[in-house]
Amino acid sequence: MSSRVFTVNRNVHPGFWPIIIGHWETLKNLFRTLVLRQASTIQYPEQKRDVSRRYRGIHILAARADGTPKCVACFLCATVCPAECIHIEAGERPERTIEKYPVRFEIDLLRCVYCGFCVDACPEEAILMSRENDLVGTSREELIIDRDRLMRRAGLAEHGVGYRPTDHDLRRPVRIEAIEDMKNRYGLNGPRPRR
Amino acid sequence: MKCMIDGREIEVEPGTSIILAAQRLGIRIPHFCWHPDLSVDGNCRMCVVEIEGSSKPQTACSTMVTDGMVVHTDSPQVRKARRATLELLLVNHPIDCPVCDQAGECYLQDQYMEHGLHDARISLDEKVRKRKVVDLGPIVLDAERCVLCSRCIRFEREVTGTNQLGFVGRGDHTEIAAFDNRPISHNYAGNLADVCPVGALLSRDFRFRMRVWFLESTPSVCPGCSTGCNIFIDHRDGEIHRLRPRRNVSVNRSWMCDLGRALYKGAGAPSRLLGARLRSEDDRGMIPVGEALDLLSSRLRDAGEDVAFLASPQATNEDLFAFQSLCDAVSGMLDFRVDDPQDRMAVLEDGVLLRADRNPNTRGCLELGLGRTGVDAIMSACRAGRVKALLLQGPELLRTPAAGIFLEKVPFVAVMAENDEPALARAHLVLPAAAWTENEGTFVNFARRVQRIERAIEPPGESRPRWRLASDLLARLSRPLDATTAWDVFRLASRSTAAFSGLEHVSIGESGLDLDAIKES
Amino acid sequence: MPFPDSALSDSQRSDRPPSSIAGIMHANLPGGVVMIREFRGDLSITVKRETWAAAAVLLRDHLDCDFKLFLDLCAVDRQGRVDRSERFEIVLHLYSVSTKRHIRVTTPLPESDPRLDTLTKVFKGANWFEREAYDLFGIVFRGHPNLKRILTHESFVGHPMRKDYPTARRHAPGKCAERVLDVPQDSQGMVVNLGPSHPSMHGTFRVQLLLDGETIVDAAPDLGYMHRNFEKMAEARTYWQIIPYTDRLNYCSPFMNGHGWALAVEKLLGIKAPPRAEAVRVVLSELSRVMDHIVCIGANVVDLGAITPFFVTFRAREAIYDVLEACCGARLTVSYVRIGGLAQDVPEDFDALCRKAISAAREVIDQADRLLTRNVIFVRRMREVGVLSADDALSYGWTGPCLRGSGVAYDVRKNHPYSGYEQYDFDVPTGAVGDSFDRYLVRMEEMRQSLRIVEQALASLPGGPVIVDDKRVALPPKSAVFENIEALMNHFKLVFEGILPPAGEIYGYTEAANGELGYFVVSDGRKCPWRVKVRPPCFNLYQAYPRLIKGGMIADAIAIIGGLNVIAGELDR
Repeated sequence: MSSRVFTVNRNVHPGFWPIIIGHWETLKNLFRTLVLRQASTIQYPEQKRDVSRRYRGIHILAARADGTPKCVACFLCATVCPAECIHIEAGERPERTIEKYPVRFEIDLLRCVYCGFCVDACPEEAILMSRENDLVGTSREELIIDRDRLMRRAGLAEHGVGYRPTDHDLRRPVRIEAIEDMKNRYGLNGPRPRR
Repeated sequence: MKCMIDGREIEVEPGTSIILAAQRLGIRIPHFCWHPDLSVDGNCRMCVVEIEGSSKPQTACSTMVTDGMVVHTDSPQVRKARRATLELLLVNHPIDCPVCDQAGECYLQDQYMEHGLHDARISLDEKVRKRKVVDLGPIVLDAERCVLCSRCIRFEREVTGTNQLGFVGRGDHTEIAAFDNRPISHNYAGNLADVCPVGALLSRDFRFRMRVWFLESTPSVCPGCSTGCNIFIDHRDGEIHRLRPRRNVSVNRSWMCDLGRALYKGAGAPSRLLGARLRSEDDRGMIPVGEALDLLSSRLRDAGEDVAFLASPQATNEDLFAFQSLCDAVSGMLDFRVDDPQDRMAVLEDGVLLRADRNPNTRGCLELGLGRTGVDAIMSACRAGRVKALLLQGPELLRTPAAGIFLEKVPFVAVMAENDEPALARAHLVLPAAAWTENEGTFVNFARRVQRIERAIEPPGESRPRWRLASDLLARLSRPLDATTAWDVFRLASRSTAAFSGLEHVSIGESGLDLDAIKES
Repeated sequence: MPFPDSALSDSQRSDRPPSSIAGIMHANLPGGVVMIREFRGDLSITVKRETWAAAAVLLRDHLDCDFKLFLDLCAVDRQGRVDRSERFEIVLHLYSVSTKRHIRVTTPLPESDPRLDTLTKVFKGANWFEREAYDLFGIVFRGHPNLKRILTHESFVGHPMRKDYPTARRHAPGKCAERVLDVPQDSQGMVVNLGPSHPSMHGTFRVQLLLDGETIVDAAPDLGYMHRNFEKMAEARTYWQIIPYTDRLNYCSPFMNGHGWALAVEKLLGIKAPPRAEAVRVVLSELSRVMDHIVCIGANVVDLGAITPFFVTFRAREAIYDVLEACCGARLTVSYVRIGGLAQDVPEDFDALCRKAISAAREVIDQADRLLTRNVIFVRRMREVGVLSADDALSYGWTGPCLRGSGVAYDVRKNHPYSGYEQYDFDVPTGAVGDSFDRYLVRMEEMRQSLRIVEQALASLPGGPVIVDDKRVALPPKSAVFENIEALMNHFKLVFEGILPPAGEIYGYTEAANGELGYFVVSDGRKCPWRVKVRPPCFNLYQAYPRLIKGGMIADAIAIIGGLNVIAGELDR
């Protein structure tokens, strides 16, 4: 193993031979793509790429067993969001041990930078990110997603949960009730492989 | 008494506690139960410091400085003691931060980061459970969060004298309670939420409204009465979310009344006037303010000397001075004493802070000499048809029951107002004025203390401060005021008023200035 | 417990022997030195404004100082606070390759008269930096040859980085200035815009050329098309919230920007990330370096007409993106670092994914090498083109592969190792001539060395935590936040208040793909930084561009710009 400063070799004796090599390399690539079918590209949208287990896609608001939001409108996600795209209004919940819930919880998906800080900041495992990255709408208003739409997303079986709260140390995995709940209810185990 | 705290020497009067002496040196000693405006209890043990010569740490709040005392507020022993105290205070504390409004101004949160940072040794199911969300009227009580500092009990005993809260139970089952859960029934309930260092006592009005770390605090003065309690206006993005007291030992200490707290609602109310309104035969039309001022100035010109001006003790000194200058420019009649607020100005209504005069600047009107012609004289002139134009700085006169009769024969009545109300129908022209939260300037309270207010939010729509309305009128009358800001107007006022003479607005500090004191010097 | 405050080391204190630089300055500029302080290892000298140019010349030319590398010049609006009494302060950062030292020189300027002598005659690179200080702060540099706005639009009103300029103010740009170049009246040449919408102007920047046939007589660049004023945003965001913004600087190797930022803030705090976090950071940074060089070389040759290497090499980028996505859930906008370490530990298949990336990278680098290095067309286009001597490169403030291509062996990873780079064996390639071909060869070799580093780091990846064990900095583990009040309070305070560093200022620097990426951070002790100045390596590189292309042909200009690897996100911020 060396560790030195050295001058690069400029005496490369250029010639036309590398151009011939170039054609050969291109033919090899052609063979690889057409015959071996190992292209780097895929036919989107018929084929979709698998995204990782920690993918930061469109958000999900988790629900309790009775269908009400787990979110207690603590405002930490709205506070930490660098893009200031989360807007919340809090309301009173009758249960004395819960007290608060979001009357309004909106994320402007167009302003969002999908950094995942909201998931990091949530102290209630209420907000998660899914593996969905298809963000399509015909108007800006349509892409401001409200509380109920965010909660319904948990039932979207095809995408599964991506970025979720975790301890820094993987050896102590955090038991996220919400995710286990979703798995039980919707059979969510991650996206079905597509390729 | 000379003593050393953390290697720095300070001289204090006998009877000064260590915590106050340290405060003067800029050293903050953490505490829960101590409060500068309540009696000392010494129950929280958080303020303990090391005193040379004492074997055990002593509470800084209840130990008075002695001559030659040497105190260490940050030694390893002190840090260990603080950490232990915090840990014990947190033993039964519920994990309520997400739903607790105190987050952001919570002594436990702040002191944990500065003096705690320990790991927890208690699990959730070991914690003692107590009553939560107990409705005490304007206050919501959560007994689990209480750290038993007794500040609320001392407040009830010493400030309002109502004794509506006390401890019940023993040991770590002790709770704060109101007898029979009766709601807090005095005008100072909001202070209980202020005084509670944690989220045990919280304001019902402010509940869940806004997280405090989003709020910006602008110092100001409450306009609710002639006491002039110092306050903070807490706002975010042009919306005011609450008012809270600002400590001033000469005026209101750390308190303010609930009537004053409720005043934050006015500026954003739906009845807010956003433009000028002219009453015409067919309809009430909104017209641009510029046009309204043109109309008013032409009416003032045409009226010659048959004009009357009624100032409002709700206005700032700057508003008043500009109004007075306007009156002088057209040689009109001038007064402010509708309903004689000056008679009530010094009367303390509830024995604590609230005064019978619900105007913040009656004294200012007197200092500037706005009580000139006499309201009765103006009213007789009106009834006799000798007033061609009447300009009101506020709707006080319009609200009086006999207003209709007085104004029958006045061909043009204009009023500056902030919120719409039925009484405004009696005026021909309504000009939109900026509210007190949208204006900077000064008030003089009943005790001749001049205090500053600062602008927290921008005036909505076309509304603008009253002094600017007056100044715009003066410009149209070719008698412009040499002022572009409220503080310029103050400078003009201080040149022509005996009481303010020589005063620059910057000399009026955060706690105001006693006019009697400068007269002597 | 707050972090310990900046230690003021006053030059008058006798118990501390003055460093030799201070001694030299006192001797040669009598009365000119106002203050000397050292904080977190940074030496900072404040001089009177009258001695500004003389101080710069002294530091550059004195044999014991030899600060020939011009790094950065910026302004700070102190507003009479943050322990200075004058409103503005101009800050100059220099480096000495021979003595391996950084230095900061500052001078205060009053609000009523923010004028200062230009340093354009002392350091060639100072030109654009002074224009930027003029543009953003309103500092007037006496004697500057072309003091015009550089980042904001010509019709912009006001100086946006001043503290009294509200962040929310809107400004609609007026008509664009057509003429950027000073063209003499009697010129017969043709003026042509190269960019901003030109495939070779990667990102968006523009050069206006005065042509005589195909030969370039004169050139003037125009920047600011991607200026989003990251630095103003940073003043309103906590140290944690700034991390996603750093991804958008050099977006070809985004992890490295975050790495540099985290290291800068850690320097300010005086803490160190744990060894596992540092090793992972090294792995990901080196893979990002490979990614960035692939873009540079690939895009460069596309401009020359060779499309194949671009397609081929980008396959390796996909493999590296897979690594990043598995770690943090995003390919480009990674935001994976945290102050004090990483957001979370790497996944179980990290090693396998990295090996795949390494082999993919090796494969494509070899392919590209076979396609290009001995290719006569490529060599003829790149050799003896865009030559910059070592002295000029230092004066412009070139760093990274471009500086090494000109023969100066300055690599931050070797001279001032960070994140454990001292443990790894790797070579530093340099060039002999300083032309585009040298820069290409240096980058190719650097990629191979980066892969060596990655393999070593993976082989010796330590166990342990991935974030510092300091409750004032790191979020508590989520399981604790759900279970006890102490962790919950800690979590809350860190989210809504954030890290509270001591008051002071530091310059944190790393070897990013393009060169020395620096962050000059001024803290006033509160949760948002008072000032952040990004030292963008390609700002200095692009400044030399007119010099490199004058007298050459347009085709050469295209060949040169690709080799400089100017990334608009970093250039304009």
